[in-house]
This record gives sequence, C-alpha cells and structure tokens, in this order.
Amino acid sequence: MTGPLYLFGTFGYGTSLIVSLITGFFFGFVLERAGFADSRTLTNIFYFRDMRVLRVMFSALTTAMVGLIVLSWLGLFDYSVLLQYALLETFLWPQLVGGILFGLGFIIGGYCPGTSMVGIVSGRLDAIVFLGGMFVGIYVFAAGFPIWSTFASSGNLGRLTLWQVFDIPMSVMAALIVAMALAAFWLAGLAEKWAPYDKKGSPAQRRS
Amino acid sequence: MQAPDYAQGFWNPYVAGVALGLVLLMSFYLMGTGLGASGAVVRTAAVVAHSVAPEAVEQNEFFKSLFKSGGKHPLMNRIVFMVLGIFLGGFVAVLTARRFRPEVGRGPTAGVGLRLSLAFVGGVLGGVGTRFALGCTSGQALSGGATMAAGSWAFMLAVFGTAFAAAYFVRRQWS
Repeated sequence: MTGPLYLFGTFGYGTSLIVSLITGFFFGFVLERAGFADSRTLTNIFYFRDMRVLRVMFSALTTAMVGLIVLSWLGLFDYSVLLQYALLETFLWPQLVGGILFGLGFIIGGYCPGTSMVGIVSGRLDAIVFLGGMFVGIYVFAAGFPIWSTFASSGNLGRLTLWQVFDIPMSVMAALIVAMALAAFWLAGLAEKWAPYDKKGSPAQRRS
Repeated sequence: MQAPDYAQGFWNPYVAGVALGLVLLMSFYLMGTGLGASGAVVRTAAVVAHSVAPEAVEQNEFFKSLFKSGGKHPLMNRIVFMVLGIFLGGFVAVLTARRFRPEVGRGPTAGVGLRLSLAFVGGVLGGVGTRFALGCTSGQALSGGATMAAGSWAFMLAVFGTAFAAAYFVRRQWS
C-alpha cells in the first residue's frame, strides 16, 4: 500500500491515535537504549568527550531520509503528498531565534523535551525539573504572546525544502547530506581524541 | 580506564541511530508526519492552566485555538498519544535493562543544587524556544531534517551552534 497511509485515508482518526501511541513506544524504547536518558551523555557531545548524540542523530536522520526516497522509488510512498500537506513550514527568523534559545536550554538544562521524558522514567531528578521548567517556559511564551506574535510567524517561506533552496535535484541533496554525515562521523572520532576540556583524554577514548 | 557507569551497557550508537531512523520512517509511512514531543507539553500545560483559570486561558491568544467550542479535547491529539508511548516505551526499556536509578545527572564536582537550578533554567529556555521554533529536537531537527525542510535545518544548526558556543560557560556542572 502506498503511504502515507493516514493521509490517504487508509485508517481513521481513532486508529491514528493508537498508531501514534505505538510509534511513541518504539521511540521511547530506542531513546533509552541509545543512552539518551542521562543528561551527561546528552551534553558530552558539546565537550567533545563522547560524540554519541551526533552519531545517533545523523544516522537516524539519514536512515529515514534515504528510506523515504527508496520507498518513493518503489512506489510505496507518495513524496508529493508529504511535500504538499505535511512538510514542516519554514518560519526562518523565529526558527533561528527559537533554535538559539533551545540550544541554550539544551546545554544549560541538559535535556531536550523527548529525552527528558525518558530521563524521568529512568529516575533522573534533573529530568523532572527540566520538564517542569518547560511548563513554565510555555506559560511565559503564552503570557507574552501579544508582544511577539508577529515575530513568531515572520519569515514564512512555506513548505520549503533544502533542494529547492540550492536548486538541485532531491536525490543530489540527499547524497550531499549522507556525505556530510559520513564526514561528521569521521570528525567525531578525531574530536574525541582532541577532547579540549579534558587533559587526560575523553571517556570515549579511554574506553577503547 | 573504563567509560563512566552512566554510559555503559547501551547500544552501539550507529545501531541505535538506524533503529531510531526506522521508527521515524515508520511514522512517516503510516501517518505522513514524523516524531514529536514538545507539542504534548504545550497541550498538557494548556489543560492544566485551563483547569485553574478557564476564562484567562480561553482568552489567551496563544492557547485559545486549543479550546475552540465544538473542537476536540486538547489531549485527544496524536502528539499526546505519542508522548504517552514515549513514557511507556522508555519505562519498559529501563526496566528490562535494570537501569532504573533515582539520581541527579551531573559532573563529578558539581553540586545537586547547582545542577537542579540549571536544569530548571534550561527547561524554561527550552520551553520558550520550542514555541518560537514550532518544535524540538524530535519534531523539527529529526523529522524536519529527514524530509529536508529548510527551516528545520536552520533550527538544527542554531541549536547545535549555540550549545557548542555556550558549553564553555556551564562546563562546571558537567566536568
């Protein structure tokens, strides 16, 4: 059957909630098995101690990216439906500012939203406090919304993709991203040996 | 020397990454959308606030779209169910690996008070950030990244660029 199944009406709203629950189950399971329940593992990347976050994220991103393209070549996935109805819209300025705030939150708080949830069920108290802080952050955003609502929807470029930005074929863009990921994996190994914050070398290096 | 105990016993990062990628691919194939987490926090925060001050929340420009008359309950949403799944899946993974351990993740010389204060501050910043960016590491960076959405890549670069640049200033809580 050609995906995305829900957008083609293959199953209804009620089933979609169950599908999301099951997808979330696998998501949470894999996040835990990746070691992403611990704030130290998550932030070690920023000190070049252990580049696990980069390895997991980029291999996940490229797996799904290539998988979607292969499925569409096989006729099992209609990429045009995704582009027309489901691709995340670009709001350039708020996404950059949101990214800066989120990056600060990540290195200061030690978590991002999904990983804090896995941290909580692993018993991490700092994860509970982080998620509590997120609630406060959302109330702050809601309270100040009249002030920044115009900015929050500025820079809207619609459903824009990278291959459209660079004006190259989609498969070439994907190949470039895969090449970039492979280069990043190689550089990650070098960065762990460098480990500028630790005089005796990184934990990852000591492990081997 | 060995890896610190908090980093032991996990999957090879590339294996974990491919597994995570397959979960993301499954989500796109079935639903047409990727993974997400922060949207559920917004909806839960809205429902909690609504139980305390319903009128204020219904008049709030940001929250009011969740409480349209005749609309579905804010928690009857795919992202809320996904997050329930995250908690369940994470818990099953923790239990089966016998890794449940109440503790505060922090560097060897950092105090608990410092770490928890910064966890709170970081949570606030992250919460505000997700609302400007319309998503987080899962909804924007992973899901938007895999579909090559331009804004998601801008978000991802901003997140990691900022975190690398700011890491120096909070190194004491992690070293």
